[in-house]
Amino acid sequence: MKDRYEIAIADPEEVIFSRGQGGVFQGVVGGKPYEELIVYRAFPFLYTTQFISIRDAKGEELCIIRDIAELDDESLKEIERELQFRYFLPRVTRVDSVKQKSDLWLWELQTNLGATRIAMRNLHEHMQFPGGNRIILTDINGKRCEITDWQALDGHSRKQLTDVV
Amino acid sequence: MAIIEKLPDKIRARFEQDPLFSAKTDLRSNGHFGEQWIAFTEQELTLWERDGLQLLKIGMNDLKEARAVNGVGGGTLLADTAKGPVVVARYTAALSPLFGFAAKLLTAIAKGEERPAVSEKEFPRYCPTCDNPLSEGTQVCPVCKNNGKVIARMLKYAKPYKSQMIGAGFLLVLTTLVELIPPYLTKVMIDDVLQPKNMGSALLTIVAGLGLTALLLSVMQTVRGLIGVWVGSKLMGDLRKDIYSALMRLSLAFFDRRQTSQFIGRVNSDSEAMRQFMTDGVIWVSGESLRVIAIFVIMFSLDWKLTLFALLPMPFMVIVSMKMWPKIGRRWYQQWRSIFRLNVLVGDSLQGIRVVKAFGQESTEMSRYSEANREVVRHNIRIEGLWQGMFPLFSFIAGLGTLLIWYNGGRSVLQDELQLGTLMALIAYLTMLFGPLQWVSQMINWASNALSAADRVFEIMDTPSEVPDVRDPAPIGTIKGEVAFNRVTYGYEKHHPVIKDISLHVKPGEMIGLVGHSGAGKSTFINMICRFYDTDEGSITIDGVDLRRISQSDLRKQIGVVLQETFLFDGTIAENIAYSKPDATPIDIMRAAKIANAHDFIVRLPDGYDTRVGERGHRLSGGEKQRVSIARAIIHDPRILILDEATASVDTETERQIQEAITRLIEGRTTFAIAHRLSTLRNADRLVVLERGKIVEVGTHEELLDRKGAYHKLVEAQQELSKIKGVEG
Ligand SMILES: Nc1ncnc2c1ncn2[C@@H]1O[C@H](COP(=O)(O)OP(=O)(O)O)[C@@H](O)[C@H]1O
Ligand SMILES: [Mg+2]
Repeated sequence: MKDRYEIAIADPEEVIFSRGQGGVFQGVVGGKPYEELIVYRAFPFLYTTQFISIRDAKGEELCIIRDIAELDDESLKEIERELQFRYFLPRVTRVDSVKQKSDLWLWELQTNLGATRIAMRNLHEHMQFPGGNRIILTDINGKRCEITDWQALDGHSRKQLTDVV
Repeated sequence: MAIIEKLPDKIRARFEQDPLFSAKTDLRSNGHFGEQWIAFTEQELTLWERDGLQLLKIGMNDLKEARAVNGVGGGTLLADTAKGPVVVARYTAALSPLFGFAAKLLTAIAKGEERPAVSEKEFPRYCPTCDNPLSEGTQVCPVCKNNGKVIARMLKYAKPYKSQMIGAGFLLVLTTLVELIPPYLTKVMIDDVLQPKNMGSALLTIVAGLGLTALLLSVMQTVRGLIGVWVGSKLMGDLRKDIYSALMRLSLAFFDRRQTSQFIGRVNSDSEAMRQFMTDGVIWVSGESLRVIAIFVIMFSLDWKLTLFALLPMPFMVIVSMKMWPKIGRRWYQQWRSIFRLNVLVGDSLQGIRVVKAFGQESTEMSRYSEANREVVRHNIRIEGLWQGMFPLFSFIAGLGTLLIWYNGGRSVLQDELQLGTLMALIAYLTMLFGPLQWVSQMINWASNALSAADRVFEIMDTPSEVPDVRDPAPIGTIKGEVAFNRVTYGYEKHHPVIKDISLHVKPGEMIGLVGHSGAGKSTFINMICRFYDTDEGSITIDGVDLRRISQSDLRKQIGVVLQETFLFDGTIAENIAYSKPDATPIDIMRAAKIANAHDFIVRLPDGYDTRVGERGHRLSGGEKQRVSIARAIIHDPRILILDEATASVDTETERQIQEAITRLIEGRTTFAIAHRLSTLRNADRLVVLERGKIVEVGTHEELLDRKGAYHKLVEAQQELSKIKGVEG
């Protein structure tokens, strides 16, 4: 019997992930097939591809993947995609503009998932600095974008950011 | 009933009649930004590209259920079909309410159940004119809102002091005019007395005139200064009061999401910034502009050609100011934010000072502080540096005008086309222009600081309470205490419900024990009764009246709460007990304390009821604090009593005493009690077992034990625990 108080780290050989016909993330964990699996990042900010909690549709934890890089190619591809779906956090590649119109801040952004625009009521509650040069932007409706390292962006973007970070 | 976002024509053409539901997604199936369209009829669920290409089709008879699975920042609409789950559409968090509703409607259709009703909350709202999102509860789009409104609104605070402000303004005009006299007198002195070497009474008269104007000036400046201080202090008092009452009016949900100590500094610093602009700013601007005009009038009348030279640098300065304006505003805000972060940090570590000390983490806290402090310093230098650089630039540019006048004026004097005195007067007036110019840059500074402060202040004032009072509340008088939950659903985060579809009818005077694992939603349940939060779905009634129709002050008068986390205010024990009834007599206070089993220990304290309990009552033990807060609830004499783990943090003997107090307290009142030790709820009329936000069992202790369900398990687990405790002694 498994120890209930032990973190169950999965053996990478024993988990297989794939995508069902309906586009749902599924897989085999410990020899048992599941037609729907949910992925959770235990450290969504610090370790985006490590310590992934795999849960069944009801939310019960099946195991933890220490590092998805240990998985086979097919599984890796699917879990990466699934993480991207579940943790919708587009990575900003360019800041086109940051404008303040009356009391709304409007950001025009290019991200790895396409162009978008976000609006904030203010900066002090909607910009988070989790550490380093990382910035998390949250808009009025809860949509979030991430700037992994604002110092590493191009000159234009940095210029837009100088007075807001 | 159809819920329709207007479909593009190409897709609409594929339907014979309007579908039941249609909506635009904001993500494509591959998770990239973009749009696709979902639509469904009684027969089928479909997904489309904008150009009418069908991507997905599921027949309603294949559909078992639909679920909106929310991730972080976005979500997925899943359809459970006979062949397994299918991804229908993906969306960002902005649309989760809408797709949550779609899922419910789809499930209802699939299962042939009653269709859910739409509420306005479920649709993301965008400003009709500029397409920016509207925040919850507001109707006006912030972008389209009139820009000048903030200033107008700010100036409203100056209105009650109109007469004083006008007085100060009048004095300022006078001062300005008087200030203009000395250079003119100097001109007269040079041209009519000194140069003609014309000694007579004229010299004495002019010197006396100079002395008199100087005296007049200083008197008027003093009076004006005093008025300024008076109006300023009053204004600031008004502002602080308004900000504070705005804060008090806000609902708990507002404070849940924010660190509260930040507001201490904000109330003061933001109102100071606004005051500075309104008193000093407004008076100065009007005064100084007047002075500029007067100076130019005099200069033009002395020599209009030379005066034009002085005007040359003006356009340049205007342009520079206009360009700098937004930048300065941003930098002020940036600086404010770094201070804000610093304050939050300080507030946090001071509130948790016991934990900090207990773990010996003072140095970590210090290094966190110094990092944030460095940021403040950096931003401070940036903003101060910016405007320190601006003023010299302005004076230099303006100085160029003086040089031009010196050169051209000097030539004219040499060619005897101009009197020396006139040139000197012109130069003197020009120097006086520098004053206002300095104020231009200072003013830009003040105004942008004040505007960004005002923005934040008005944001607080404009935040609608999430639990608004109705316009004409139902009078409830003294209630009987009947409480009913009708299919109540609530989540702190929308669409992550913590309380799910709860129905419960509680008779007047009944005692209900709420049990369940920690995190089951017990505290949330009672928060709903206090109306700290409004239901997302369903309703709660007291004596048959919907909570939302009752004014909150009436409601709270009828409800008394004792929480696990007792909070005592800075003050004496007596003041804390009489918190909700300031006119309570000493006898009332003692009686309440007696019932709460607190009287004895209080009297034994050296200072008795006058013992100051200080911030959060650190000087009392857990059980003592608990009993004081029970006394506070007793004196309140509520019809509905709420006890949330009121005895969780005390030993068994104290618990017994508190329990005794509570037993006396609950008599004749409707009571909701949550207790960690199930034995303390044994005499409840009914026990309600909550599990993950749902009621799983209701009944008396005996009934539930017999049923051998969830309650039974909880009791067993606890018995096991007490056995272990027994071993430990
Ligand atoms: N202010 C809050 N903001 C967000 N979530 C909260 C808040 N208070 C409680 N929760 C969440 O709601 C759930 C139920 O909490 P609660 O009602 O306090 O449980 P209980 O009192 O039964 O232990 C928990 O999952 C908790 O994390
Ligand atoms: Mg609780």
